[in-house]
Amino acid sequence: MPRTRGVVKAEAAVAGSSPRPRPWIAWPWGHSRRSRLYLAGFFFVLPALIHIAVFKFYPLLQAFQLSFYRYDLMSPPVFYGLANYQALWENPLFHQSFWVSVKYMFGVSIPEWFLALGLALLLNRAMPGRSFIRLAYFFPIAMSQIVVAMVWKFMYHPFGLVNTILEFFGVGRINWLSTEETALPALIAIGIWRGIPLFGVIYLAGLQAIPKDYHEAAMMDGAGAFQRFVHITIPLLLPTILFVMVISLLSAVKVFLNPLVMTGGGPSGTTRVLPYFIYETGFTYFRMGEAAAASTVLFVFVFALTLILLRLLRRGGVQ
Amino acid sequence: MQRNFTTHSLIALAAALLCTPAASQKTDITWWEHSNPPHNNYSKELVAEWNAKNPNSPVQYEFFAMTPYFNKLTAALSTRSAADMFTIIDTLMPSYTTKNTLAPIRPEWLGYKNLDDMKKNYLPRALEGYSYQGKLYAVPVIASVFSLYINRKHFQEAGLDPDKDYPRTWDDVGRVGRKLVKMEGNKMVREGFDFAMHSSTWTMWYFNSLIRQNGGEILDASGAKCTANSEAGVKAMKIRAMFVQDYKISDPTVSFATNALPADDLPKGRVSMFITHAGSVAQFGPEVMKDMKVVPYPQVNPQKPIVPIYGFALAVNPQIPEAKQRLVHDLIKHVAKDPKAWYEKVSYPYPASNFLTLPGIEEARKTRYLDVFLKDITNGRFVQRSPQIIEINDAIHRAMERVVLRGENPKSSLDQACKEINAAIAPR
Amino acid sequence: MNKKLLLRWGGWGITVLTVLGIGVTLLPYFWMVSSSLKTGAEVFELPIRWIPQEVQWANFPNALSRGSFGTYFFNSGFVAIVVTASNVLFCSLAGYGLAKFRFRFRELSFRLILSTLMLPMEIVLVPTFLVVQQLGLVNTYGGLIVPLAVDAFGIFLMRQFIRDIPDSLIEAARLDGCSEFGIFWRIILPNCKPALGALALLSFRDNWDQFLWPFIVAASDALKTFPLGLAQMEGIDSAAYHEIMALAVLGMIPMAILFLFFQRAFVRGIALSGLKE
Repeated sequence: MPRTRGVVKAEAAVAGSSPRPRPWIAWPWGHSRRSRLYLAGFFFVLPALIHIAVFKFYPLLQAFQLSFYRYDLMSPPVFYGLANYQALWENPLFHQSFWVSVKYMFGVSIPEWFLALGLALLLNRAMPGRSFIRLAYFFPIAMSQIVVAMVWKFMYHPFGLVNTILEFFGVGRINWLSTEETALPALIAIGIWRGIPLFGVIYLAGLQAIPKDYHEAAMMDGAGAFQRFVHITIPLLLPTILFVMVISLLSAVKVFLNPLVMTGGGPSGTTRVLPYFIYETGFTYFRMGEAAAASTVLFVFVFALTLILLRLLRRGGVQ
Repeated sequence: MQRNFTTHSLIALAAALLCTPAASQKTDITWWEHSNPPHNNYSKELVAEWNAKNPNSPVQYEFFAMTPYFNKLTAALSTRSAADMFTIIDTLMPSYTTKNTLAPIRPEWLGYKNLDDMKKNYLPRALEGYSYQGKLYAVPVIASVFSLYINRKHFQEAGLDPDKDYPRTWDDVGRVGRKLVKMEGNKMVREGFDFAMHSSTWTMWYFNSLIRQNGGEILDASGAKCTANSEAGVKAMKIRAMFVQDYKISDPTVSFATNALPADDLPKGRVSMFITHAGSVAQFGPEVMKDMKVVPYPQVNPQKPIVPIYGFALAVNPQIPEAKQRLVHDLIKHVAKDPKAWYEKVSYPYPASNFLTLPGIEEARKTRYLDVFLKDITNGRFVQRSPQIIEINDAIHRAMERVVLRGENPKSSLDQACKEINAAIAPR
Repeated sequence: MNKKLLLRWGGWGITVLTVLGIGVTLLPYFWMVSSSLKTGAEVFELPIRWIPQEVQWANFPNALSRGSFGTYFFNSGFVAIVVTASNVLFCSLAGYGLAKFRFRFRELSFRLILSTLMLPMEIVLVPTFLVVQQLGLVNTYGGLIVPLAVDAFGIFLMRQFIRDIPDSLIEAARLDGCSEFGIFWRIILPNCKPALGALALLSFRDNWDQFLWPFIVAASDALKTFPLGLAQMEGIDSAAYHEIMALAVLGMIPMAILFLFFQRAFVRGIALSGLKE
């Protein structure tokens, strides 16, 4: 290994004594191994932290600040106090959007948790034609969002593919996207269709990281497939499962392109999810302040939810 | 060694990226437009002409996807990064004029003596839709109107004469529609007549004309109170809903979500009568139009016709210096110079006062219903002006959905809409 | 059917499920591909006709001529590649730092990073645009790339995976005198290949597909990305859907290629053989 500065320091650390400080290194944090690790960790995270601070956090704070102003994008913002929040509270459309979002969020995420895992388990087995099957299943990831919206709008047409299949089974036509009871479930189905391969990819990566030896050793001990699943796979996969649970909720709550393109938030607002409401209020109605207030509410809700989820899972033994 | 090289080249690449603009910074005039392929192609031609004649002040023309175009424009205006000239739709005029994001148009710079002189060159009231507090804020280049398209073949099959028996009033539409609708058991396989349900803007175009035909208005004279739930409004909503509920010639679930294109059902023969805009003639094409006929927009009282119209216009960015605004006016003059070419290439009528008598227009008058459109335009009224027009549209659209889809009582539905509208237009 | 084959497929049940699943997954694709080869009128004919009457290969060159799609494809590809590379590098660095080191504000940093995942882009659109404008990056490649260069999702993902790498491996490397960055480069990265593969794939997909941000930042044609080009194919109430579908088919090719490429990273797998806790 080349004798870089790091190497020299490492050797010195191992030797237990600190070398004479060289004149060109100012190392005010001390030369102990712990502080070196402290710094290294910090510097590794630093570029990401700076980026996130500038491009995500600062705009976020600005948006939060905006919620206390009246701002129509073209005149300068005017201080408004809590009036935006009050307007939201009194707006039945906001309440409707909030619940639509909650329904969508859980309606999409929960099936995804299980179905994606099933998919990953399926594809983790050695089976003939596996490469092709994998490719086939992961295709929905490759489709552009706008195209997904267009294609599925057509699939759900009264004379479209879904109804054609239903008629074949004698169920009859349903006006999926124009009927209040079926519009949201129809969009949820698309969300799940798209989410399964996405999270399947992640689960698969997690499954692949489980050393085969564990399974082999267990098999030699006489454990069956199900037992191995419960006692080896699940515990080792828990961090991935946690990750998928959190991320699926967070990405489901941000969805708004499909309702925008496919149903316009209707019929009767049954598919107007909160991000759609926010976009509409801010960019179409020119009430940015109120939109910022709505997104603050959304943010607080999701934040709280995530915190609860993380805590619950921590109690269940996941770190 | 290798690692250092990689790192260094990455840094160099990053630095290069951050400093290189993707497009040359030397263009002088920027022009933004919404996307509409035939319109954009003609605009590009005009730009090429201008650039050839004015090499020192070339125009950079860009167009953007229609639906988010206005959002992008607003975001750009709010961050002072909008184009020098941009195309705008009439319904959004108040949203921009009340916030001083459009520069007043100077008729003198366009070659007129004053505003009155300019008005003579346009169809009566054509410039009203683009004026605010006595000043003009955009120059219209497209004047479109909604008229009734009927399917000749369906009429003939039903034993009707499309040239004599076409409907003049809304009740006529209902009666004629009953002869044209086709049912298969409980399923309506061909609608007699339908309104487009896909967008709240279209809903407002219909509803605004309906309420005016009944003598009412959406907002009162001061623009501060909603009057959509007046008697006129209730009558208007009843007309809107009667084709579904009373005459049973419309299927209410044909809407935004079932149509890729709002006027798609008409050329496909799934509906016999449909109201759409003047540009559809060109969009359907001569093959389809052989079976179609365009007749004037239905009325409550044919003696006092009121028709919905809208248009697109060119506006100037107020954040650019005077000298540049002057240059933009020259560009507007250039773009608006040939009404006949506009019609030929873009297929929408142009609001010039002498449009029907321009040389070369006779052919179009005979085969492309230009007379019908121009007549309707002269009877046309722009939609109610309000900076919160989109919220008003959405409130009325929801009210309409409640009545048409759920059979709610029109009065209570409009009361709800007025509540929402009053909250939206309340001073903040 | 060969009984052994069937057994290897885990019985009838799984076979049927697999076939059904593939069917559901691929049907929209078939519709898309078949539409791309039809005439405009045929696309929306009902009931659906799968094989077009006459295969319209011309849709593809026609569609490409409607805009500078060569440029749009290049821009999407370029931006997606750079952002993906940046993501992979910085997210794994940050993930490693958060997973294996203890420093004072570690948990706080993680929570902050996580919180940025929770807000939809739409509301921070204008403030982010202002930041980009102040940096002078409007209408430049930098403006398209830099704000997306690090995504909290990637950091979260890498942290979860790197946590599983045994500490003993890292300690051994330290004892051998390896520098911290060297440990990252030589020990950590090779050991989380599946995660890196997943991250690269998803990051590329997200960035290839970006619509809203490029729409706001790009003011000139030379900078537009593929989804922008696709969206502006729609007119006010008319659109050449057969050509849009042709473009959509073309737009899927980079993703398909990338996926095939990364498949091997999955299949190879990582065996931390010989090291037991």
